[in-house]
Amino acid sequence: MTFTGELSVITLVPLLSGLILLVLPNVLPRNISLKMQPSVRNVCIGISTALFLLTTLIFIGTVGDIDWMLNDFKSFKLQTENPPILIKSIGVTWHLGTDALSFPMIWLTTLLIPISMLVQWDVENSHRFHALLLLMEGALIGVFVSLDLFIFYVFWELTLVPMFFLIMMWGGDDRKYASMKFFIYTFTASVLMLIGILVMYFNTNPDPIYSGTLTGHHFNLALMTEQARIEGLIESEGLRHLVWLLLLVGFATKMPSVPVHTWLPDAHVQAPTAGSMLLAGVMLKMGAYGFLRVAVAIFPESTLTFVPLLVFLGMASLVYGAVVCLGQTNLKRMVAYSSVSHMGLIFLGIATMQPIGFAGALFMMFAHGIISPLLFAVAGSFKHHYHTLEIGSMRGIAHHSPFLAGHMMLGWMGSLGLPLLAGFVAEVAIMIGFWMAFGWWVLLPALTLIFTALYYLTSMQKMIFESNHPHQGILPETLHGEEPRDVNWHENAGMFILGALTILFGILPFIFWDMMSVWSTDFIQTYLVAAMNALEASP
Amino acid sequence: MTMSTADLIKLAPELVILSGILLAILVPNLGDARIRLPLTSVKVPILWGGTRFELTSDPRAPGVLSATALTVACILSLTEIESASGTEISGVMEITSFGRFMSMVFTAALAITAAASIYRIPSKKITSADIDEEDEEMIQSLMDNRRQVDLHILLLMVALGMSLMALSTNLFFLIVCLELASMASYVLVGFHKESEVGGEAGAKYFIVGSIASATGIYGMSLLYIWAGSLDFDALALNWSQMESLDPLAGIGIGLMMVAFGFKVSAAPFHLAAPDAYSGTNAPIAGMLATASKAMGFVALMRVLVGFAAPSDYVVAWGTALGILALLTMTWGNLAALSSESPKRMLAYSSVAHAGYMLAALSALGSGLADSATQEILQISVIFHLSVLVLFKMGAFLVLTLVEIDSGEGTISDLHGLARRDPVVAVSMFIFMISLAGIPPLSGFLSKLLMINGLVTTTSGTGSDGATDALSWIQSVDPFFLLALAIVLNSALSLFYYLRIGLVMFFEDTDKQKPLPKATMLRAVIVLSAVMTVLFGLGPASQWLLGLVETAVSTF
Repeated sequence: MTFTGELSVITLVPLLSGLILLVLPNVLPRNISLKMQPSVRNVCIGISTALFLLTTLIFIGTVGDIDWMLNDFKSFKLQTENPPILIKSIGVTWHLGTDALSFPMIWLTTLLIPISMLVQWDVENSHRFHALLLLMEGALIGVFVSLDLFIFYVFWELTLVPMFFLIMMWGGDDRKYASMKFFIYTFTASVLMLIGILVMYFNTNPDPIYSGTLTGHHFNLALMTEQARIEGLIESEGLRHLVWLLLLVGFATKMPSVPVHTWLPDAHVQAPTAGSMLLAGVMLKMGAYGFLRVAVAIFPESTLTFVPLLVFLGMASLVYGAVVCLGQTNLKRMVAYSSVSHMGLIFLGIATMQPIGFAGALFMMFAHGIISPLLFAVAGSFKHHYHTLEIGSMRGIAHHSPFLAGHMMLGWMGSLGLPLLAGFVAEVAIMIGFWMAFGWWVLLPALTLIFTALYYLTSMQKMIFESNHPHQGILPETLHGEEPRDVNWHENAGMFILGALTILFGILPFIFWDMMSVWSTDFIQTYLVAAMNALEASP
Repeated sequence: MTMSTADLIKLAPELVILSGILLAILVPNLGDARIRLPLTSVKVPILWGGTRFELTSDPRAPGVLSATALTVACILSLTEIESASGTEISGVMEITSFGRFMSMVFTAALAITAAASIYRIPSKKITSADIDEEDEEMIQSLMDNRRQVDLHILLLMVALGMSLMALSTNLFFLIVCLELASMASYVLVGFHKESEVGGEAGAKYFIVGSIASATGIYGMSLLYIWAGSLDFDALALNWSQMESLDPLAGIGIGLMMVAFGFKVSAAPFHLAAPDAYSGTNAPIAGMLATASKAMGFVALMRVLVGFAAPSDYVVAWGTALGILALLTMTWGNLAALSSESPKRMLAYSSVAHAGYMLAALSALGSGLADSATQEILQISVIFHLSVLVLFKMGAFLVLTLVEIDSGEGTISDLHGLARRDPVVAVSMFIFMISLAGIPPLSGFLSKLLMINGLVTTTSGTGSDGATDALSWIQSVDPFFLLALAIVLNSALSLFYYLRIGLVMFFEDTDKQKPLPKATMLRAVIVLSAVMTVLFGLGPASQWLLGLVETAVSTF
């Protein structure tokens, strides 16, 4: 077996090193571990930066055998040849692979981890905090690279653990409630998803790779998808719909979509900044990713049948998120609800069943993954320096903290979809797709976007500019008369990178857009067209 | 039918246990007594009686001794699994891989119980200085030591009975061995006679247990009347030649199901179990939930699968066992949901787990399974029984630590455990989610194998023409519903397993100190947690499943 394990490296290195760094201080003698503790964060950021460089090299094509420019996205790339068998008896293998759906997400994860470490560079107990972030990186990448549903599920649940501890130990005042709600919500939903996965598992055909299993079935997602494409994975239509709905519950809770979104605002408000950044940046995308990868690819007929449901969920999230944002006075809560709103757009993009809508949804996943961490970094450093998150509590940030104000404006503009920023591309693509699919109904989501602009602009006016006294503004009471400061160097650096990327991907979206749009076209041709024809043919 | 030396060597694990019992009687009595040779003044030490040595009077000595003996027996059984060749001994035993695998499971569970009991029985170590000063304390220490001896002799007896039971090829011998283990376990349950609940638990468990045994023995006698022999081979021959179910045989089998149903705590024969578990020490409760349950399942399999397997004419017990399984798992889970004490909760969860395994067994009795599927079903049950020793016992061990700390293990003693003692809390959490059956832990693997067995057995019977799930389920054999019931029950059980986890992480507590040190107990807990993970994923699980496969192939 030749080792072609770039993906194994980027999954296992952070996982194992995070685990070792967490355990080591507890095992070593006390004086050594005390000496070691301050340098742990350097090691963590070193490892995660190295991983980011490696992933970038994979993208460019220096490492690995992908040539993204060839437009050949018909199959998974970097697939493990002869995947090592993990549990022979039930057919579980360490099968990894990536394509244009998952690769931008992997790149995004490796990017966000060092940045979120940077933003919370000075956190208390940094040796644990940064090691947990490293662990988180491994789990997140694992979700995106694994092509074996068992491994996928394990990583899916594993992401809960570090996030749970991040909220539980470094969160705000109400962290206990928030982390418990977060855990119970997502855990219950994913157990329902597991039931769906099991039904799929029991319908797989035996495959030569998995000879010698006790059960005669396997968890291989690539083979399952292939079987579904050729003969349909589950014969009975009702059961197929049921499984699809079970999967939807798991994925929609993670996204989250109305009505199972209520864990998100609590988790976001209480989580530490880095936790919020990862939660909004990558973890929410796991839902959309899994939905496309598993539910849509394997059950295209059910997806087509339930398009109205998807549109409804998408519209509900979009409108509800936007309306709630209007009334929010808490900065983080507002950003959290705006995430709900944007996730609704992703559902709408998928519901169009048009290549451009899919590509828009994919790009939205990516763009939101850059912009929302920026917003949470801004909110976090606002809280850090002004000790409050109330939107009305102060005026004139632009005067006191010009850098913070700059990042804030850039982030908000990106989020509301200003042209030449990353969010715009995605929104426009989704709207075009929606118009192609549903005609003038596009006015509904398009007009809702005005609300987004409305709440961002009003809070911008309130916080950044408006000031009763042109040179002083109003400082929040929580400062107790101290002088406000501008952001620290490390917060600034993190936000600069994110801001620069927001602009970069707004001007040059084709870096990822090309592969996304080719992938979407191919995906729809391969999996959905047959189902569409069948649906039309049936009375 | 004499035993040769070669046969004796094959019985090495049992002999080790037996010598453990003898040593446990002898060693604590060793002292510095001397006897004067007649007509001389020479005194010869005879080591028996007198003032005991410090080592032999140590209250921990019997525990260490029995734990060592059981561990050695466990390792010996392990080494014999592959090489067991089916030697017959005395016409009532046969050394098979299956028997050796099960004795490994039994002795492993009991070795852990013995090691944990060292810490559980309150004991004071005495030094020679104390003896002169305080007679009372000396007596107390003697008592401590004696009680330890009693407990560990009983544990070794349980081990001996179970281990021989796994080897038996004769129903009578099986029942005798089973009773040897049961009698000892009744006493163990009531061992804490000072506490009111302890006595009550013991009495209740004894009464219900002996009635169940009596029922089983009556059933056995009916089978004897029917077949004229209690050899499994003879019984199997008679069974396969029956053209319609003989009432004697049917009633006999039914009555035996009651007896073994009590042992595995299947509803509605489980009613004594929660009281017994919550009234006794946590290690003993752990033994009841793992070794004792495994014993019941082996006996059940010996009777039902061993000779009363469905033949071309007679399909006798599948449906009855299926209904029992459904009742057991649902009752267990519903009761566990509403129980407050963690031990009671674990007792009901063990009832629920019995239900899952009974469901897998009942598919064997449905007459639908082909031979490959039958093997999967048996593998799944045996694998589940063996990994239960890790995570069920592990959970009881954590409760043991809590009990030593606070005297009784209530749910409030678990509050805030994560902050007091993170290692133990994380291990407990792993045990809980493994019990709930979450991937990638071994609890998931065994449950998936059981569900798979049920699905493979029955899914072929569904009609192809069904268009939606509901009509397909209506057309499929009702045994399929058991698979569905396992899934739904597992989802239900998540609530109470997670509650324990959440209480440890979220509730506040006044107590700040970590749990007692008890190094060995802690080591076993952490080891169990690690193995719970390893046996669910990767080469270790493959190795264990390989052993189980070897074992089942010689069943």
